[in-house]
Amino acid sequence: AAMIIHFVAGLASLLYLPFIFTIVLLVIFLSATGLTLGIRQRVADLLILIFEWGSNVTEEPEEPTKDEQTQKEEEEPKPATIKKRHSSSDLRIIKREHSDVIENKLQGQDVLKKKSTVSVLVDDTLDFISAGIESIIEDNVTSRFSAEQLPSWNLLSRTKYDFQHISPKLTILWILGFCFRYLILVPIRVCLFVVGMASMCLIASAVGHVPNKSIKKWLNRRAMLMSMRIFSRSFSSIVRFHDRQNRANQGGICVANHTSPMDVMILSCDNCYAMVGQKQGGILGFIQTSLSKAEHHIWFERSEANDRKAVSNRMREHVDDPSKLPIIIFPEGTCINNTSVMMFKKGSFEISATIYPIAMKYDSRLGDAFWNSTKQSYGEYMWMMMTSWAITCDVWYLPPMTRLEGEDSIAFARRVKKAIAKAGGLVDLEWDGALKREKVSAKLIALQQKLYFERLSRRTSMCNDVTDEDMDILKNMSEEDRNQLLKQLDESDDVDAVIRKVSSFIPEVAQLVTEGNQTEPVN
Amino acid sequence: MGNNSSLMLRDEEIDVITNETEFNRNQIVRLYSRFLSLDKKGQGFLEREDLMNVPELAVNPLGDRIVDAFFTLSGDELESEKRLNFRQFVRVLAFFQPIDRTKKNSLNGRKDKLKFAFIMYDLNKNGCITREEFKVILNSMVGANITTDQLDKIADRTIEEADVDHDGRISFQEFCKAMEKTDIEEKMSIRFLN
Repeated sequence: AAMIIHFVAGLASLLYLPFIFTIVLLVIFLSATGLTLGIRQRVADLLILIFEWGSNVTEEPEEPTKDEQTQKEEEEPKPATIKKRHSSSDLRIIKREHSDVIENKLQGQDVLKKKSTVSVLVDDTLDFISAGIESIIEDNVTSRFSAEQLPSWNLLSRTKYDFQHISPKLTILWILGFCFRYLILVPIRVCLFVVGMASMCLIASAVGHVPNKSIKKWLNRRAMLMSMRIFSRSFSSIVRFHDRQNRANQGGICVANHTSPMDVMILSCDNCYAMVGQKQGGILGFIQTSLSKAEHHIWFERSEANDRKAVSNRMREHVDDPSKLPIIIFPEGTCINNTSVMMFKKGSFEISATIYPIAMKYDSRLGDAFWNSTKQSYGEYMWMMMTSWAITCDVWYLPPMTRLEGEDSIAFARRVKKAIAKAGGLVDLEWDGALKREKVSAKLIALQQKLYFERLSRRTSMCNDVTDEDMDILKNMSEEDRNQLLKQLDESDDVDAVIRKVSSFIPEVAQLVTEGNQTEPVN
Repeated sequence: MGNNSSLMLRDEEIDVITNETEFNRNQIVRLYSRFLSLDKKGQGFLEREDLMNVPELAVNPLGDRIVDAFFTLSGDELESEKRLNFRQFVRVLAFFQPIDRTKKNSLNGRKDKLKFAFIMYDLNKNGCITREEFKVILNSMVGANITTDQLDKIADRTIEEADVDHDGRISFQEFCKAMEKTDIEEKMSIRFLN
C-alpha cells in the first residue's frame, strides 16, 4: 500500500510541475499580446453561483416573519452584474433620523418661526444627545476603514462572522475551496508573480539602453503592459474597463480613489502611467530604479517629500512636458474600503487645470482588495491577496474635467470627487481619510460650534437683546407684525450686529467686542 | 479583514441580554460587531477614548458630555471604573429604544430617558443642575462665538424657567416637570432595524 502511495505521489508531482509550467507560458503569451481567454471571468461566475447556493443552505433557523424572509432573499447578490452595488448599506443597525435632523438644523434647512431661546436650546440639546448616541452605534467614518461586510459568505475564513451558522455541507465546500486555493492557485500565482517581477525589471533595464526615443517609448509601453498583465493574472484579477475613449493619452494628471496598493497595477494593465512616490530602500527601491531607466517617473527623497513647493514644481515640470506619460495620483492619501470616497487633498489640483478622473470599484465577493494598513503589514496583505479567489474591479474613465473660472482648488477637488463617487456608486464623504490614524482636528470642532451659533441666531432673538418691555410689546403685536419686526432686527445693519458677525471670524475683533460691551450697554 | 474575533459572544450571554433589554438576537449580534470595531485595541472593554474616536461624536458639541453620561449610567458606582463591557454598553443603548406601552420594560421609559439627559447636564453628579454647570454646557455648544454676557443671560433665563422652588438649582423633579411638554419619546428614541 505504501508503494501505491509513493507511486501516486510521484506521478502527481511529475504532472504538477509541467502543469504549472504550461500555465505560466500561456499567461506570458496572453499578456504580451493583450488577449484573454475569459477563463477567469467564467470561473468567477461559477464561484458566485456556488456561494449563493451555499448561503441558501444556511438560512437561520428562526424566521419570525415572512417579510423578513423576503427581505433577506432580496439582499443576496445577483450574479455578476456590472455597475453600482451598494452592498454594505444593507446591514444597518439603526435608522439615523436624529443625525439627519441635526444636519438639517445646522445647515439652516428648517426655516420656521422664531422661538424662545430656552425652548430651542432644550430641543436642540435632546437632538444632539440622540444624534450622538446614533453615531456611537453607527457612524459614517469608522466603518470606512475596515473591510465591508458581505451579504453572503464567500468561503474564506477571514470573512466569516460570528453570527453565521455553518452547516456541514458548507464546511465541506470550504475544505474543497481551501485545497484548491492553497494547493493549486497559490503555487501558480507565486510563479507568475516572480516571472512578472523579473520581466518588469529586466526588460525595463534593457529598454533603457535603447537610444532612439520613440522606439524606446513604444518598447517600454509593450513591456510595461505585459508585465502588469502578468502581475494582474498572478492575483487573478478580473478587470473591466469602461469608457476607454476618455483615457489620458498626452500626459496630464489622472486621479482615482484609493483602495489598495494594487490600484496602480490594475490601472497599468490598460495604459502606461508615470508613478509618483517616495524613494524607498531595498527591493522596492531597486524596482523604482529599474523602472526609471525606461521612463520618467517621479520619485521623491524623503526630505523633498515634506517640501510641498518642491513636490508641486517637479510635478508641474513633468506635466508640462508632452513627451512624458500621464501621472497617476490618489488624492485621498490613504486606503479607504471602497464603499465611499473621502476628502481629496487639494495639492494635486493646483498643478494642472485639466484632470482626468478615474473611478475604481472593486467587487469584494471574491476577495476584498482593501488594505487596512493599521491592522495588516504589506506582506500579510499580499499573502491575503494570493490566497483569495480573485480580485474583481470595474474601472471607469471619466471625461476630463477642467477648473472653472474663479473656482479654487478645494472646490475643484470636491467637484471631481463627486463625479468619481457618482460613477463608481460610492458614497461621497467630506471626512478626511487621515482620520484613520488621527483624531478630529480642533478646527472641525470649532466649525461645528460656529454652525450651531449661527443656528441660534437664526432661530432665536438671542443676539438682539430684548428687554422685558420689548417682550410685552412683542406679545401684543399680531403674528405678522411680530415676524416682520424680528426679521428687521435680524437684517438690520446696526454696527453691533455687523461686528458680531465679523468677530466670529477674527479673534482680535471678538476681543474688541467684549471690551466694548463692558463700557456701553447693548441696545 | 473580516470579523474574525477571538472574543466571541456566547449564547447564554445573548439570552441574558435579550431578557434584560428588548433587543432581539440579531440586533445584539450586530451591536457586538460594532462594539468590537470600536474596541480597536482589542481589550474586551471600551474606554472614554474609544467612544471619542468616533469622528461624528467628536464634532458633536455635547460629545464629551454624552460619553460621560454613558459611563455614569453604565452602572458602575466607582468613579475610577471607567470601563464599559459589552453588557453595560447594550444596557445604556437600551435606554434609547422606542417606548412600547404594551411591554413592561424597565429600561426605556420616559423617566429613564430624562435621566440620561439630566446626568449629562449634571457635571459633578450631585443630583442638581446649577447655573454654572449649565453655562459650561452652553459654552461647549457655541464655543467662543458668544460673549460671556450673553452666556450669562441665556443661562439665567433657562434656569429661571425651570426653577420652581427658586433655590437657584434644578433638581430631577423640576427637570422632569420642565420637560413635560416636550415629546421625549420621539426626541430620545432611536429606531433599531430588525
